[in-house]
Amino acid sequence: MRDYWLSKLFFDLQSPPLADEYRADRKKVLDRYSLKPAVRAAVESDDVATLSRLVNPYLLRFYFLMAGMPEDEFLRRIRASGAAPAARSAHG
Amino acid sequence: MAELAGVYAASHGPMIVRNWGKLAAAEKDGLTAAFAELGKRMRAARPDVLVVISPDHWVNFFIDNLPAICVGVGETHDGPPEPWLHEFPHRSLAGHPALAEHIVRHAHEHDFEPSVSYRLALDHGFCIPLWKAGLDPLSPIVPVIFNDLEPPYPSVKRCFDWGAMLAQAIASFPGKLRVGILATGGLSHSIGEPDMGRIDEAFDRDCIHRFEHGDPRALIDFLNERLPGAGNGASEVRNWVAAHGAASGRGFELIRYDPISNVYVGCGFASWNLNARS
Repeated sequence: MRDYWLSKLFFDLQSPPLADEYRADRKKVLDRYSLKPAVRAAVESDDVATLSRLVNPYLLRFYFLMAGMPEDEFLRRIRASGAAPAARSAHG
Repeated sequence: MAELAGVYAASHGPMIVRNWGKLAAAEKDGLTAAFAELGKRMRAARPDVLVVISPDHWVNFFIDNLPAICVGVGETHDGPPEPWLHEFPHRSLAGHPALAEHIVRHAHEHDFEPSVSYRLALDHGFCIPLWKAGLDPLSPIVPVIFNDLEPPYPSVKRCFDWGAMLAQAIASFPGKLRVGILATGGLSHSIGEPDMGRIDEAFDRDCIHRFEHGDPRALIDFLNERLPGAGNGASEVRNWVAAHGAASGRGFELIRYDPISNVYVGCGFASWNLNARS
C-alpha cells in the first residue's frame, strides 16, 4: 500500500524549480502536503527504512538523490532497512 | 501492407549516462560496442517508423492514474525531462499517428484495451537506447508504455500476447511501411530496494538462454517463477517478452551481455531472428 501524499510529494519534486525550493526551505514545501505526522517526521529525519515501506522504490531512490544524500549513504541505509520489497510481494 | 523490419531489445539504465565518467574502460568499451552493433542492425533494417516499448519512470503517469499499457498516438512527443539528459539531441520526437491509431484500433478489435496519449514525454527508457545506438536521423516513433514499475503489472503472458497482437496490427496496416520494434529495459536490477545494486547474473543468463531458444511457454513459465526474485527493475523484461511475441517466439541473437555493477544493471542487447522458423 502506498502513502498517497508522500508519493505525490516525491513525484512533484521531479520538477527542478520545486526541488530547488525544497532544498532551500523543506518545511515550507512540506506544509503544502497533507502528510500524516509520522510520515512527515520520517521525511524530516531522512528515515529511509520507514519511507521505503510507503512509496514506490524508484520514487524513494529519486527523492534521496534529489535531496542530496550521497549515493553510498543511501545504499547503506536502504540495504540495512531489510524492508520487505512491496513492489515484488504480489505481482512479480 | 506494412512489414515488420526488425525486432530488438536494449537495456536503458540511467547510469549508462549519469555514471559514464566512473565506468571502467572495459565497461565503456562493452557498452559502446553493444550500442554500435544494435544501431548497425537497426539501420540495416531501414525502418520507416519505430515502435518503442518502454516503461514510464514516473514522468507521464502517477498513482492517481496509472495505465497498464498506453500507446502514444500524438504527432509529436516531448524529449526526456531528466536534467541529466540535457545532451540528448532531440527536444521533441516525431510520432506516427496513422500507425499508432491503427495499432490502438486493432488492439481493441482483438480484446486488448490500451489507453492512449496524444502527448507523451519520452524519458530515458526510450531515449538512451535511441541516442546511444546512433540512430540519426531518427525515424518517427510510436511509443508504447508498459507499466513495469508499480504493481499490479500486466502478466508475462499478457505481454507476450500483446506483442503477437502488435505484429498482427503492423501486418494489417494499409500502407507501405517498414516497422521496427525496440523493447527497452532489463535485465536484472534492483532500484530503491534493500538489494539495490545486486545483479542476478544467473537469472540473466538463464533468461537469455530461453529467449535464444524461442519456446514461449518455457520462457513464460521461467519468468513467472524467477522474475520476482531478480530485482524490481527486472520487471522490464516484460517489454522483451512483448518483443518476443511480436517475433512469433522466434529466438533472438544476443548482441552482448555484461553485468555492470557501476550501472546497477545486467545490461543486455539483442535482435530477433525474423527469418527463422517460428
